[in-house]
Amino acid sequence: MSKYAFWPGCVAQGAAPELYTSTLAVAEHLGMDLVELEAAACTGAGIISDGEPYLQDVLNARTMAMAEQMDLPLMDICSTCVGVHRLAAEKLREVDYRIRINHHLAPEGIEYRGSVDPRHLLWILLEDVGIDKINSMVTRPLEELNLGPFYGCYLVRPERTLEFDANPTRRDSLEQLIEILGATTVTYDGMTKCCGFPILTMNKQNSLTMAGTHLDEAQSKGADALVTPCPLCHLNLDAQQPDAAKVIDRNLNLPILHVPQLLGLAMGISPEKLGLTRHVVDTNRLLNKIGV
Amino acid sequence: MAQQEFIIERYNPDSDESYEESFNVETQPGQTVLDSLNAIKWEQDGTLSFRMSCRHAICGSCAMKVNGQSMLSCQTQVDAAAERGDPIRVGPQGNQNIIKDLVVDVNKFLNQFERAETWLEPYEDQDPPEREYRQKVEEFDHWSHASTCIHCGACYSDCTVAAVDENFLGPAALAKAYRFVMDSRDAKREERLKFLSEEQGGIWDCTRCYMCVQACPKDVLPMDAIMELRTLAIEAGHVNNHGVRHHKGFMSGVRKRGRLDEMMLPVQSVGIGRLLTGNLAAHKEMMDYTPGAIRLLKSRKLLTIAQRHGANTEGREHIERIFEEVEAEKHHHDVDAEAFGAEFETAIGGH
Repeated sequence: MSKYAFWPGCVAQGAAPELYTSTLAVAEHLGMDLVELEAAACTGAGIISDGEPYLQDVLNARTMAMAEQMDLPLMDICSTCVGVHRLAAEKLREVDYRIRINHHLAPEGIEYRGSVDPRHLLWILLEDVGIDKINSMVTRPLEELNLGPFYGCYLVRPERTLEFDANPTRRDSLEQLIEILGATTVTYDGMTKCCGFPILTMNKQNSLTMAGTHLDEAQSKGADALVTPCPLCHLNLDAQQPDAAKVIDRNLNLPILHVPQLLGLAMGISPEKLGLTRHVVDTNRLLNKIGV
Repeated sequence: MAQQEFIIERYNPDSDESYEESFNVETQPGQTVLDSLNAIKWEQDGTLSFRMSCRHAICGSCAMKVNGQSMLSCQTQVDAAAERGDPIRVGPQGNQNIIKDLVVDVNKFLNQFERAETWLEPYEDQDPPEREYRQKVEEFDHWSHASTCIHCGACYSDCTVAAVDENFLGPAALAKAYRFVMDSRDAKREERLKFLSEEQGGIWDCTRCYMCVQACPKDVLPMDAIMELRTLAIEAGHVNNHGVRHHKGFMSGVRKRGRLDEMMLPVQSVGIGRLLTGNLAAHKEMMDYTPGAIRLLKSRKLLTIAQRHGANTEGREHIERIFEEVEAEKHHHDVDAEAFGAEFETAIGGH
């Protein structure tokens, strides 16, 4: 059984609880053993580092040290978490900086040795579980669905940190998953852009114009739903969708799925168990289309 | 020799017509996208318009979109741009008005530098040095990345904020502003930090999307510069804005429970102080959050937020300890810096 140190992130335990429950459901189905890092802290999401970059690095070194201590690969389920973890891991390759940071971890009896390669569930599905295994688990191919990917910035940029050259499957991981599950990918300009969530409280107009523009583009290109590996994007695209529609003055009705929800549907897990009843944008029409 | 198809997004200002046109070009290994555009212009269609000059990634004239991302066409080889024999799509830079074909009006981009006054403002009460103004090597090393900008506009073209907000200063001008904030020869550091914090479209409007870092052909790392400006602005006391309140509110949630507190964050961003003193704009902002909160309530998400347990007890203790330690370390650092500053001032005799 494959075992992972699992960091769920704040939003999966808060405003997007369906991401947490669907991740556990899918992991159980695939025989993945997730050891949750219950003592770990928020990654800081780039917001702590606005004023306290050093503090953010300490918090993330601590999380990675916990995974290292257990000798398990680190799994995130949020584009922002994985991006911030990887940026920290990159900085912490420098020995002097690591020594300074480890000073704060010593009272807890842990130390970060610089070996962690934080990865998103989406990457782990393709890199560890593998296409063949996923294929063999699909009981309900999603052939009727046209799905737009929505990556979340930190799963596509900066390429340097994400190591795309060494891991080319990461470049189009969402499209690959969509197609393995039998659905058709709808490509559109906005799919690798910013959802606007990071500036929602600073500049609501700009934030919702971004969300609305991408939703409108995907919808007009025939997407039945978007699928995202980032719960922060989910908040702006799903929970804020009615307001985004007003800002751009368009009718929007586009369900937003989390990665494990999509996989779960194709593996025959019930919509209730996947939390599809807990979205702001109703998912019933989508479920009807695949006969659930 | 290999055949390569180019699909070029064209615009004819005389007929106000936008269209795509396909060209096939014989290419050789090592040939660039710009070489190919020249081949089209010289051999197939002389009306194709684009900017170019040095052909060595120095002048910044030939930045354009290749397969959707802005880059220097002289620095981009055909073999690297084409995937599996797919056509290469070439278009003008984004976020600016198109003049003709691949030529955009760069004034909107260049005006941002003027707005941010990105030139050196020397100390007026200091006699000019006999030779040149000097900057310490170790200081320059810290910000040298931001000094390598060639004003090609690739970052501005791909910026997700500039796409929705004409008023945003944009990655290049902000990185250049950072360059002067960091330069010890510049006398306007404090004014700059104040302006960049308070100006509409300043440092707090960036989404941290990394588009600029990805697009920049010179590794200026504009977003990293913007993030460092935020830290410097907070240290300089420019804290009365949504961005800083968001940062502080976020921190207090993580400090207490090890997790972001989604219930409190909107209130903290609007500003508890502003709300208590009856600031009307602040109350309107809170009202704007109500429909969103009701939607979260209906989808039973507010309940989960309220029930969230946070990090376990042991974890919380250590998180709190780390916050305290880093704060204390910073205080020591500030004391050291003040002492150093006083010493430095004595040494240079003023400022």
